[in-house]
Amino acid sequence: MDLQYSSDGIHVRELDLWLDPQISKPTAWISHAHSDHARGYSKTLIGTPATLELYRMRWPEDSDQPQRLIALEYEQSLDWHGAKLTCYPAGHILGAAQLLVEFGGQRLVYTGDIKLKAPLCGAATEIVPCDRLILESTFGLPIYHFLSRDEARDEIVNFARECLEEGATPAFLGYPLGRGQEVAYALGQAGIPLAVHGAIAKFLPDYERAGYSVPGWEPLDSKQVQGKAVVVVPGMRRLLEATGKDIRIAYVSGWARLDNARLRAGAEKLIPYSDHCSYAELIEMVSATGARHVDVIHGYTEAFAGILRERGIHAEAPAYARSRASEEEGVAQE
Amino acid sequence: MSATFDHLAEVLDRIANTSSRNRKLGVLADWLSALPDADLERGARFLCGEPVAGTGDRKLSIGHSILREAAVAATGFPIELFRLCHREVGDTSETIALLMEGKSAGESLSLAEAEQAYLRLFAERKTALKVELLQGMLERMRPKTTKYFLKVITGNFRIGMQQKLVEDALARATGAKLAEVRDAANRTGDLAQVARAARAGTLAALEMKLFHPLEFMLARPLDDVEDLVEPESWWVEDKYDGIRSQVHTDGGKVRIFTRGMEDTTAAFPDVVEALVGLPGSAVVDGELLAWREGRALNFTVLQQRLARKKVDASLIDKVPVVFVAYDLLYRDGALLLDAAIETRRQKLESLFEGVGLPLMVSRQWRLSSREALEDTFTGARIRGNEGLLLKKTGSLYESAKRSAEWLKVKRPYGTLDVVVTAAEQGSGRRATLLSDYTFAVKDGERFLNVGKAYSGLTDDEIRELTRLLRSISKERFGRVTLVEPKVVLEVAFDGVQKSPRHKCGYALRFPRIVRWRKDKEASEIDGLERVRELYERSLA
Repeated sequence: MDLQYSSDGIHVRELDLWLDPQISKPTAWISHAHSDHARGYSKTLIGTPATLELYRMRWPEDSDQPQRLIALEYEQSLDWHGAKLTCYPAGHILGAAQLLVEFGGQRLVYTGDIKLKAPLCGAATEIVPCDRLILESTFGLPIYHFLSRDEARDEIVNFARECLEEGATPAFLGYPLGRGQEVAYALGQAGIPLAVHGAIAKFLPDYERAGYSVPGWEPLDSKQVQGKAVVVVPGMRRLLEATGKDIRIAYVSGWARLDNARLRAGAEKLIPYSDHCSYAELIEMVSATGARHVDVIHGYTEAFAGILRERGIHAEAPAYARSRASEEEGVAQE
Repeated sequence: MSATFDHLAEVLDRIANTSSRNRKLGVLADWLSALPDADLERGARFLCGEPVAGTGDRKLSIGHSILREAAVAATGFPIELFRLCHREVGDTSETIALLMEGKSAGESLSLAEAEQAYLRLFAERKTALKVELLQGMLERMRPKTTKYFLKVITGNFRIGMQQKLVEDALARATGAKLAEVRDAANRTGDLAQVARAARAGTLAALEMKLFHPLEFMLARPLDDVEDLVEPESWWVEDKYDGIRSQVHTDGGKVRIFTRGMEDTTAAFPDVVEALVGLPGSAVVDGELLAWREGRALNFTVLQQRLARKKVDASLIDKVPVVFVAYDLLYRDGALLLDAAIETRRQKLESLFEGVGLPLMVSRQWRLSSREALEDTFTGARIRGNEGLLLKKTGSLYESAKRSAEWLKVKRPYGTLDVVVTAAEQGSGRRATLLSDYTFAVKDGERFLNVGKAYSGLTDDEIRELTRLLRSISKERFGRVTLVEPKVVLEVAFDGVQKSPRHKCGYALRFPRIVRWRKDKEASEIDGLERVRELYERSLA
């Protein structure tokens, strides 16, 4: 298959199929609903039902730009210009999927953003054997190891309980779609009273419909945070602190693996849990798929491609610029 | 059962992950109290970032490059990859621990084994063999332990655990009185020994040790002369504008320590040479001053001595320095902290009897009345000194205390109206607030930074200011927020000096906030020409 990388996105030329294009194209596969992957008004959009629904919340129907949305369930296939497209879970956020493209006797897998180990909310990822793999490397350095979902849940819940016992308000920073709902789910399931910021709460019904209910949450009122855990977007931190209350900030993120995240995020508690693969998971992905050819497209691309080449895999870091940093990275740069 | 370093690493991790001092203290005290006797000493020592006991000035001699070499060997990662990772992490010990994940045997490490390892590393003088030893350790122990095992060597935990917290925890863990723990730590400079004695109930028997700095006694500012109680019961000295220093001497050996507990002996060979001649053993509190023709020179002149690694004859000639002694804390085996000021003074004078420059004893006299204070103060300023120090008759030397028995009388050198251009998060209780302010003066249409201040406002004011500053923030770099130049402060300071640190070319000494000028706008603040004027005045 002829793959072309440009600032517009990745183009599978023979099929005229764009993978997570940055601007509107005739046909696009969207791997998940984060704004750096699902954007614009491509004429035909293929994605999982959850992804398409979340996409619509951010990019509402527009009569001037008619679209055809094709929903593809996990494990379901679609014939497309003589190719077979099959979608598999990617674990990153609700609805996130990998795409297997079978064409001309070749199997290509595009992971999108992916988390191999089971997430707090979402389906377990499947390894899809392939010849060529397009893989993200957000955490593609051997310093990045993360907590499992059970460990992360314990850390989140214990931190909240400790703070509440001391009369302080635990505040969890998370970006609007994915992390925020996962933290809320962990807290809600543990019976901890919680208030959720609007930007995160907006997507809670989608998570609840998918089976991840958050009992007893209420909308955030920054004047009334006593006795509750709060889940907010990082930008809200200053507002909370300005209340003068005893606010204790926890930062749940892959970047929280490094102690310097404490200063960068302004948090006292670091919980290194990510919705991306750790370094070891990335290595495991590559080896389990059996791919002989890997395109590394995000994060520490050069370094990670180099590491794969050391292991005898044909790996490249194609010149390719996504227009914006991923949502999770935005938090780290806060 | 011997305690493990693995457990210590967990404890330190928990301390890092909370801002609550109480919680830090509880975690640490629990750990210390559960340590068997044999481990208590080494546990306390490791907490102070000291891998081995009683090594004096000799160090482990393990720096970044040795650690890196060992890590590269143990992980098999290429050095470029190590560098890239280190750049992301910013700390060598942490980088290595993260890279060792999944690459070590994950064996448990006891505190005793850790000490053995440190001793072997210390004894081995050859770099290649140090690397080999370290590599072996990395391959053996758990990566989470590795992080703190290495941080004990590099001597910096950076987890918000000051020595005072360790002392508090020791007292709580052993049931000893906090004041006694602190006194003993001050006398001996050896927390390991203090830990053992605290548990054994023998703190009082610990004897003073020379050549580690004792905590300094500090003075409180006397803002208003009218506030002085019993004006007739004070000793008066000039307040010098030099480097507060503590001199330790014993039979020809001399060490000079600053208030920051740093050893500055090497910067003052001329003073050391004179101190060598003092009889017996002593610890003297005093001040180093640049000195010419009977009076002190500007502090900036003195700084040139500290800035240099090697002090040669020409520098000594250019910046002659004297040591003005004003208190005696120890003399020939006896600690004098609990002796009255009059006794200490008398012993000090007899110790320095007959010595000449570069050694002097600070002149001391009794204040006659409140009214006399004004003239006395002016006299001190004429002599080139900063102001006065009042010391209560009969007072003791209260180490580490900002005591009401010592009062400093200073007048601000000047004040300026300035505008805040950037604000930084504070620490501790003020961690969530913007409490450190960078401020600027006007230069035409521009604002040029001239200093930074973080004291002088009430908590309520800081909270209000934080809210306001966040609403006018322009850009953020980590803890620092750049803001629109809108908030006007009046700052007082003790002098102006030339400085490349700020764009305007000057820096204020000890700037502090007098008040928040809500009544003023940025256009009304002082200009660069006023700063220049004040600088010229200081030269005159």
